[in-house]
Amino acid sequence: MNTTEQVAAKLASSGKRATYCYQCVAGPDLLTVKIVDGVATEVEPNFAACDVHPGGGKVCVKAYGLVQKTYNPNRVLTPMRRSNPNKGRNEDPGFVAISWDEALDTIAVKLRSIMEAGLLDASGYPKVAANFGGGGTPQSYMGTFPAFLAAWGPVDMGFGSGQGVKCTHSEHLYGEFWHRAFTVCPDTPMCNYVISCGANVEASGGVVGVWRHANARERGMKRVQVEPHLSVTGACSAEWVPIRPKTDPAFLYALIHVMLHEAARERLDIAFLKQHSNSPYLVGANGFFLRDATTRKPLLWDLTRNAAVSFDTPGCDPALEGSFGCDALEIGADAEVLAQGRLEGSPSFAKLVAHMQPYSPEWAAGICDVPAATMRRIANEFLDHAQVGTTIEIEGKTLPYRPVAVALGKTVNNGWGGFECVWARTLLATLVGGLEVPGGTLGTTVRLNRPLAERLESVTPGADGFMHYPMNPTDREHWSARPNIRNAYRSMVPLAANGPWSQALGPTHFSWMFLKETPKGLPTVTLPELWFVYRSNPAISFWDTKNVSATMARFPFVVAMAYTRDETNHMADILLPDATDLESLQLIRIGGSKYIEQFWEHEGYALRQPVVAAQGEARDFTDIATELARRTGLLEEYNASINHGSAGVPLKGADWDFSLDTKRAHGRDGIWDAVCKAASAELTGGKQAHGLDWWKEHGLATKPFPHADWYLYPTMVAQGLRFEMPYQERLYRIGKELGNRLHENDMQWWNEQLAEYQTLPVWKDFPGIWEKSLVKMGGTTKDFPFWLLTSRSMQYSWGNNVGIQLIKEVADNVSGHRGVILNAGIAAEMGVEDGDMVEIATPLHSVTARAVVRQGIRPDTLLLLGQFDHWATPFARDFGVPSMNSLVPMSLELTDATGSGADIVRVSLKRAGAKP
Amino acid sequence: MTRWAMVADLRRCVGCQTCTASCKQANATPPDVQWRRVLDMEVGEYPAVKRAFVPVGCMHCDEPPCMHVCPSTATRKRPDGIVTIDYDLCIGCSYCAVACPYQARYKTDRASFAYGKPTAAEKQGFDPKRLAVATKCTFCADRIDAGMAKGLTPGIDPEATPACVNACISQTLSFGDIEDPHSNVSQLLAENQTFRMHEELGTGPGFYYIWDKKGEEAAA
Amino acid sequence: MNYGPKPWQQSNWDFRAALNFIFGGAGAGLLTIAAFSGLGGNALRAEFLLGMALIGAGLVSVWFEIGRPLRALNVGFNPFTSWMTRESFAAGLVFALGLAAVWLASRPLAQAAALAALVFAYCQGRILQAAKGIPAWRVPALIWLVFTTALAEGAGLLVALAALFDAPARGVLGYFSLALIARALAWSMYRGGVTKSAVRPALAVLERAGKLLIQFGTIAPLALLLAGWFAPDIARIAVLLAGVAALATGWQFKFVLITRAAYNQGFALPHLPVRGTR
Repeated sequence: MNTTEQVAAKLASSGKRATYCYQCVAGPDLLTVKIVDGVATEVEPNFAACDVHPGGGKVCVKAYGLVQKTYNPNRVLTPMRRSNPNKGRNEDPGFVAISWDEALDTIAVKLRSIMEAGLLDASGYPKVAANFGGGGTPQSYMGTFPAFLAAWGPVDMGFGSGQGVKCTHSEHLYGEFWHRAFTVCPDTPMCNYVISCGANVEASGGVVGVWRHANARERGMKRVQVEPHLSVTGACSAEWVPIRPKTDPAFLYALIHVMLHEAARERLDIAFLKQHSNSPYLVGANGFFLRDATTRKPLLWDLTRNAAVSFDTPGCDPALEGSFGCDALEIGADAEVLAQGRLEGSPSFAKLVAHMQPYSPEWAAGICDVPAATMRRIANEFLDHAQVGTTIEIEGKTLPYRPVAVALGKTVNNGWGGFECVWARTLLATLVGGLEVPGGTLGTTVRLNRPLAERLESVTPGADGFMHYPMNPTDREHWSARPNIRNAYRSMVPLAANGPWSQALGPTHFSWMFLKETPKGLPTVTLPELWFVYRSNPAISFWDTKNVSATMARFPFVVAMAYTRDETNHMADILLPDATDLESLQLIRIGGSKYIEQFWEHEGYALRQPVVAAQGEARDFTDIATELARRTGLLEEYNASINHGSAGVPLKGADWDFSLDTKRAHGRDGIWDAVCKAASAELTGGKQAHGLDWWKEHGLATKPFPHADWYLYPTMVAQGLRFEMPYQERLYRIGKELGNRLHENDMQWWNEQLAEYQTLPVWKDFPGIWEKSLVKMGGTTKDFPFWLLTSRSMQYSWGNNVGIQLIKEVADNVSGHRGVILNAGIAAEMGVEDGDMVEIATPLHSVTARAVVRQGIRPDTLLLLGQFDHWATPFARDFGVPSMNSLVPMSLELTDATGSGADIVRVSLKRAGAKP
Repeated sequence: MTRWAMVADLRRCVGCQTCTASCKQANATPPDVQWRRVLDMEVGEYPAVKRAFVPVGCMHCDEPPCMHVCPSTATRKRPDGIVTIDYDLCIGCSYCAVACPYQARYKTDRASFAYGKPTAAEKQGFDPKRLAVATKCTFCADRIDAGMAKGLTPGIDPEATPACVNACISQTLSFGDIEDPHSNVSQLLAENQTFRMHEELGTGPGFYYIWDKKGEEAAA
Repeated sequence: MNYGPKPWQQSNWDFRAALNFIFGGAGAGLLTIAAFSGLGGNALRAEFLLGMALIGAGLVSVWFEIGRPLRALNVGFNPFTSWMTRESFAAGLVFALGLAAVWLASRPLAQAAALAALVFAYCQGRILQAAKGIPAWRVPALIWLVFTTALAEGAGLLVALAALFDAPARGVLGYFSLALIARALAWSMYRGGVTKSAVRPALAVLERAGKLLIQFGTIAPLALLLAGWFAPDIARIAVLLAGVAALATGWQFKFVLITRAAYNQGFALPHLPVRGTR
């Protein structure tokens, strides 16, 4: 830690303090804040971190807003109580300032009354709910509040604020299933060719994403951006393919078709397919694997022995194509034996080849509005760059080297069609042996599998030679007929698993929708008796925002940690001003591999420290959590939870114990001092136990993280496991079982979703699903001819920072932040000039926006960046920029089997007036 | 001799505006004054359209039109190429602003702040001398001078380097001495194909744009 | 505010700056013709006071535009390269000589003042031409357009004023006619230059202003003068109208030039970045 000692000395002399920014999922960024006369004036990169941080230690634009965030005069700076019992958008809440004592007592009284009456309501749902936005990033700001929630017991965290409908949901669920990939990205530093379907890494990949891709571009990596509009990422790509919205599966299927039906077979990685995928597993007439009658292991056809053998038989050369007869069992859903005896089967690869036969580029061209020649060329470029057969040495390990990858973006990899895209992407990598190897397509982190911090350790052997996956059970005995929370993820979405993150990865819009009408078979969905909201504004960030606002106005008791007033805390009963980013204290784990493109060669911890005094009466969230625990009589459980690790590090390790006395309340600094010591000890194997003061001086400490651990492949090989590609026998089975359970309970409303569980997914008319929804709303495709899409804004995404003037000012330099982007040709046809007002409408709702006339967008597409349409948030309410969230409906028919929807809606457009 | 210059690699820039934000903070510029900003440009027509992000600001020209027209001699050029404005001399006539082909100059007549009244941080950075006179990018000359006084190298040591360069997350911006053939920027210029904005106007900008590596001319 | 890559109308100089060119040019032109048209005595004094008042009004107007009016004298610090400094020197000379001429009713001093006024008008042309950031201004031919319109406006003003009392002398009308023709030629030269540099919206407004300059500022006054030549009954009214038309079209042109056609340079990329591969 010599370097950090020097850094500490330098920082101390410069009047700068080290801290971090984790306002978006692509963080954290390590920074320093310059303090002049006790006032924070300037954010800079923590230059001392440039050697350990994979983005050169740089800091994202959002972090530069933190100084203004601290001193924003619109902040809520005292606890407040609602004086108007009526709630609604048009009701003035009449907030009046109260003391912290009164605020905390009011909440504690409510909590205690809930405790006394029981934590679950008559339907079995938790009476307390909590909502955190920002893709999980609030955890890096909420201090020890997780310990309070853990001490409390069941809490419903499944009310959506964006997760499910705004995330890359199919990628999360299927990604973790197939390769421990909550998010997926190319191995950018070594990749040479990327097909990017709507991935927007230059806007949502944070500093590290931007840094890595800039290096790759300069190095000569070719990226083909397939997207209806020319996004920031499209701009920075070598080629832009303006595809028709929501037709990406057809595009990807055409690439697969070329690779399977036009390219020479040896151009694929045959060895990988045989040894590391389920390609050779024999599939029976009913679509299930043929299994050994005794061991029930899947069979493959060994060309050496000319016989069917178990998949794990050493020294065999499995067939990938052909049809073979053998003695076997075929087992379907609920362990039903479908066939046995002498059965005919084909390798799943052969099934795949036949399955993809109709999906030629000529077929896809009409669907995607992309020339067949373009698709054929891209498929061949992908193969040309794959370098099948080559290897590379990483830290002494020889690994396959496949410098090609496919990246998918939001709206492509969630909602209907998301499964097909994620499957096709994973398959493209599999076909060339480019899954989880240097240069190829990688998973970054796990959120459904455990342990969360150790992706590779989450790999354990499961059935049939694949990784274990913690599916929610679908068998008759264990299926959950009574959901634990309102969005029913455990009952409806086996892939959502049942870990700490699962609640937020279920169908989170169901929590809102079912409050209106609970579908048959589920216990009546009830209002939570107390709802905590932190760094989350679902009244803006979710869909059908008008109805979401109206629904939350029915919540009887809402406690909102409030930075400023906003559209969600407009419905709150108590506002609590928590100390913000530069005012509060927390230690977080950094490094290893994390979201988006966060691949580090170091791991450790970073401290967020109060660099300036908290404004007004704002309080550190840790102190708020401790007080809530004390006043509700949960102090012992709360402290125990911190000791157990809910503040990020278990306080007791092999050779150290910094556990807190569970009997008494500890101050913020005392708690984090213990956490800091435990983190130091963990990092150094118990050799050091630096306390809070040391961390305040140094800001961070790390140890090396092996580059080779970026790749899952070596772990799979070491454990003798195969990737569960291309054939989805397990998904097919659980889909059948889930269907059986639902139908046994007379639940027919999930039938369309059940059809997503396929062995090999077929193309469906995905855009047609939204067109049907339009008709259901009372419109016709002729009258509503445009596809309205959205795209992330680097300046705003996840940041909860619309109230920051600096961010607004600089964001406005990027096209689209002031209105709706439309194609210049269409604008000319409609007589719309840049800056004119236009009306965008569905049959149910309409918004107005300034026209931003650009060439880089399809004529049938409109684009509204980010999420605005604020009506309560100070400063932002004056933007005059709408949001697609005000137009997008929430409905069952637009929900896929993972419980997600996609940000797309059919709209009309008309000129509404001249430039204001 | 030293000639400070900025190099922007357009292949790398993503238009994130981090440089814009850091400049605003480091130089405490008021709302809507952006000494460094990044343009979002489209070239061509759908579907054959390209989009580029282009950092701009004062180009610190060899022959600064702003300096030649300035009637008060407030605008001058230092021997190291940095074009400066003496806020005590400037009469705020804006002649320099119309003379600059890079729209790099600003004049703010009245004090303005992010939220109306100045915040604590804005009070720290507020300089009444800057009101009603021309202002623009200084290449963070104060940082350069202070850094060099400590023996640091501008463009290499963050403490002596312009804030926008320090902040740039894509390594688009580089800063250094183009008279020194071994400097970072001289190396970049030697290895890559570059242009300067509106070169035909004869201003001799000290701001270079990389658009491709060298040795690719034949393929162009 | 959002400054995009496409050129936009500059907002640094508004109507107050335009008035300096409008009044200053006309005043300088008036001094010139007054000094050389044989006027003497109170007539000379009156024309000179009006001319200097116009120049003064222009300077006062621009004084209201500058950010630091109390430092206005700093305008004189850069005679080496700044045409604005030189303009201020020329103005000073105009006032010194002009006031002396008025005081002494001295024609030689008036003529010296007129020479300074010509320098002043020339400086105004150079001020605009040196503004490299405005393609509609930096065209070299603009110097002569600004200069000749000053002569034409001054002559127009003088003949219009004279026509209120009597038919102006033929020599004066001849000078006026030549100034009109010179301005039309200068416009033609300027138009040829500006179409190569200015953007379409700037050209559109210039074209409209130029059309007025030719139709109502050149052809119409010349026709009126000709009509007056052949029909002495209407000579005075024709000359009055011709003078006003010459003046008004010159002023509208300069107003448009400063406040409507002054699109800045914008930005352009001679090469697009190569992202990854060609």
